[in-house]
Amino acid sequence: MREKARIRAAIVCVLMASIFTGYSARLIYLQVSKHEEYTALAAQKHSIRLAVPARRGLIFDRNGEILATNIPVRKVVIDGSHVNNPDALASLAASSLDLPESALRQELKTSSKYKVLRPDLAEDKAIALQKAMEEKSLRGIYFHQNTTRTYPNGPMLSHVLGFLSRKDPDDEHVVGVDGVERSMEETLCGEEGFRHIERDRTGREIVIYRGQEQAARNGQNVQLTIDMGLQAILEAEMESAFKELKPENAIGLIIQPKTGEILALANRPTFDLNLINAAKPEQMKNRAILDMVEPGSTFKIVVASAALNERTVTEKSLIYCENGSFSYGGRILRDHHGYGQMNVHDILMKSSNIGSAKMALMMGDEKFYEYVRRFGFGERSGVQLPGEIPGLVHPPARWDKLTITRMPMGHSVAVTPLQMAMAMAVVANGGKLMRPHIIQSIKDADGNVVRQSEPEVVREVVPPGVAGFVNRALTEVVSAHGTAALASVAGFTVAGKTGTAQKVNPKGGYSEGKYVVSFVGYMPAEDPEFVCLILIDDAKISPSLNYGGLVAAPIFSRVAEKAARYLDLTPAPRAGPILPIAMRDTDTTEFRQ
Amino acid sequence: MTLTAGHRSPHVNPIHLASLARWLLLAFAFSACGLLFVFVKNQQHSLGEQTRQVERQIREVRAHNEVLLARISTLSSRAELQRKLDQKFIALQPIHDTSIARLVPPAQAGNDGVLRTAANERVRR
Repeated sequence: MREKARIRAAIVCVLMASIFTGYSARLIYLQVSKHEEYTALAAQKHSIRLAVPARRGLIFDRNGEILATNIPVRKVVIDGSHVNNPDALASLAASSLDLPESALRQELKTSSKYKVLRPDLAEDKAIALQKAMEEKSLRGIYFHQNTTRTYPNGPMLSHVLGFLSRKDPDDEHVVGVDGVERSMEETLCGEEGFRHIERDRTGREIVIYRGQEQAARNGQNVQLTIDMGLQAILEAEMESAFKELKPENAIGLIIQPKTGEILALANRPTFDLNLINAAKPEQMKNRAILDMVEPGSTFKIVVASAALNERTVTEKSLIYCENGSFSYGGRILRDHHGYGQMNVHDILMKSSNIGSAKMALMMGDEKFYEYVRRFGFGERSGVQLPGEIPGLVHPPARWDKLTITRMPMGHSVAVTPLQMAMAMAVVANGGKLMRPHIIQSIKDADGNVVRQSEPEVVREVVPPGVAGFVNRALTEVVSAHGTAALASVAGFTVAGKTGTAQKVNPKGGYSEGKYVVSFVGYMPAEDPEFVCLILIDDAKISPSLNYGGLVAAPIFSRVAEKAARYLDLTPAPRAGPILPIAMRDTDTTEFRQ
Repeated sequence: MTLTAGHRSPHVNPIHLASLARWLLLAFAFSACGLLFVFVKNQQHSLGEQTRQVERQIREVRAHNEVLLARISTLSSRAELQRKLDQKFIALQPIHDTSIARLVPPAQAGNDGVLRTAANERVRR
């Protein structure tokens, strides 16, 4: 009997020992072997990595006027696991969220722990709703910090500023997709911070369990070279021209020739940056750097400068202009009027196609091509705007027999409006090609300059003497005898060149009766303060009136007049003569190589 | 053990007051520590909640400030001023030449005695 009892006791002991051993083994397995896995799972359940958004940098004009800023908003998200009373919550929040109550009720019944209801609820509405929820002990809707970008000037400068958009539909982060917003994305965006937090059952943060955190690094501010005073002048004139002439597009540019700073840039058609969803693709194109056109006669400054610098011609050389009809390569090249013997000055003033073609012929393909490239055509200027195209300048090996006579008058070549303006700035700047830039400085949130842009000379295209000679000829263009008398501004000496080119047909050849007309000039010619380009593509007026001198030159004049007032330029009632500079005052051997 | 008639004094367990006091003190100390721990924990939670509220207020004030700044920049933008000018809410007043302090010397007047910066109305007409 005692033996039996002892066996039973032993069995019970073994059983108990086995059970406790099993429990112990399980405990060791969970606490030791699976420690990492379950710790992570627990952290995932309770701990949240809360993103702390960085404030996007602002964009200013050169005088500190705000061009792009941020408005704080709240991103409204639902945590389905926290919703305690969907019906009451829906009835309370529907009006604040501008959502139908039934639709919101459905949304609140989600099992998802993170569902965005609205990305941009106004701050005051969010605060009011949050308080109302707290008063009624409702939960499940959360309000995360967010910002929306706003542009106080709406459509003004839209092509330069660009806009933001989501990287892809599933990603909530927005990035700059055009303009300065894109080109300066890394500077503007900053770096998002984070904070590890834990929440209680009701979704409230338990502050004492805060974990690791890293503050957000706000984006830096960008100051542009744009002067909004000049921009407003240019925009108003471009808008008026766009309404009056109904062209396909119109482009205006104002540049400081000595530094290469872009002071104003306007495109038509345009769009409102605050209504980006309503904009059409053709309105959003920054044509000053994305479109290329045949420049027409404005290109004659290239051949004249090149021929003078290469001593192919001198100031006094006379070129026979064939009385307006020159047969070359089996084709007839014509002038608007018949001219006989003319010097370089008169060829520019009268805009003779034949005189220009003959100068290029005397110089030869290679030399002429070299100067075309030296003026910056056929290469990207490097301006800090996205998508700039280099234009189209074929090398002499791909030229046909007529190219040498067509290119000097701005045909068989395609350039961007910015390249045209910069080429004219070469003449205005004593022969130096500057790199155009639109970013003046980068500043931190306290206004300290982090980086400053400095004017950069790309190359000396021609010596000051040659540039001075072309400058004097260009002032005659804007005289009663020249092709751009309407570009004149009372009280100032204006220099410039008109351009009229038949529009290239995308299907080949040229479009009948469609012209791209332009005027690019600067003022005051004695000491240029700005270069201004006006380009009108296919103005809806009679072809007999569609010339650069009749369409673009008056717009230039109005812009220049207002710009002179704005910049407080001192007028010279009787403009003095521009003193010639010796043509050979610089040794050009080095840069010709 | 059996009690004899001669030895009927009851068995009394003596109370060791010192020991009892020690144990009571220990128990009291433990419970005080526990209560203190709970109190401190509650304080922590309460301060955490206050921290959260203050952070929220700061965030709201900062956000409100930024909203106002954005509104100011919108209302004082060129486009808005132009709109107000067009609607005659504001007007431009010419500044008399005598009221302008020039940093650069003014140009000489023309033959007609009028100093003009530029006039190009001819073209517009």
